[in-house]
Amino acid sequence: MGRTPTFDRTEVVRAAAAAFLDTGYEGTSVDDLVRCTGLHRGSLYQAFGSKRGLFVTALRELDHPPTPAALDLLLVATLELAPRDDEVRGLVADVLARFDDPATVLGGRLLARAHLEKGPQ
Amino acid sequence: MNTVTLTDGILRVEPRGLDNPWSFTRRLEIPLAHVRGATFDPGANAEPKGFRRPGLHLPGKWAGTFSRGGALSFWNVSTPGRTVVVELTGERYQRLFLSVAEPRPLVDAINAAVPR
Repeated sequence: MGRTPTFDRTEVVRAAAAAFLDTGYEGTSVDDLVRCTGLHRGSLYQAFGSKRGLFVTALRELDHPPTPAALDLLLVATLELAPRDDEVRGLVADVLARFDDPATVLGGRLLARAHLEKGPQ
Repeated sequence: MNTVTLTDGILRVEPRGLDNPWSFTRRLEIPLAHVRGATFDPGANAEPKGFRRPGLHLPGKWAGTFSRGGALSFWNVSTPGRTVVVELTGERYQRLFLSVAEPRPLVDAINAAVPR
């Protein structure tokens, strides 16, 4: 049922990721996603199943090595979904396993994002 | 309003009270294997719903089966701000729009129960 998607999937996921890292997972409504991706609500649901499905797709397609934006999405996943979502927790763990010191990477990005990073001593 | 429960791999939707005769549906039973995901989506109430099959439309309230773009959706929404959208596959309905008492815990419970 429904029509074949004709949108640029990569662009849609990229636009959604930008919204999620700007306003967080819960703070991004489906209305926001409809606006920023240019897709109809029905097409979004048909393509990704749910808002969570779209977020998980973005998380699976993180750049590696991660850009600051990718680390921000990882922070959103860690803070909002990982505590209550086994699959997201597993995805975050997979990415963190690539770092020698994940706490420093995530913590450093958290401080830099908040403009709290200390300069060289 | 709807009562939605998850037991034995089945998602059960029971329209409650006056919503029931209006939506002409006593109960929906969907195997969780046919559920793709759930989303808390209060903004969905403002979506175009398509053609009404048996069902009801009053201001601010939609109940029953609607057809749009070749796909059927089931609506039973009345409370602004408490709509959950459930995306299905291999079912008569492609999508359910349901007002529920506690949207966020329900969305989490459905998404955690869907087999991956």
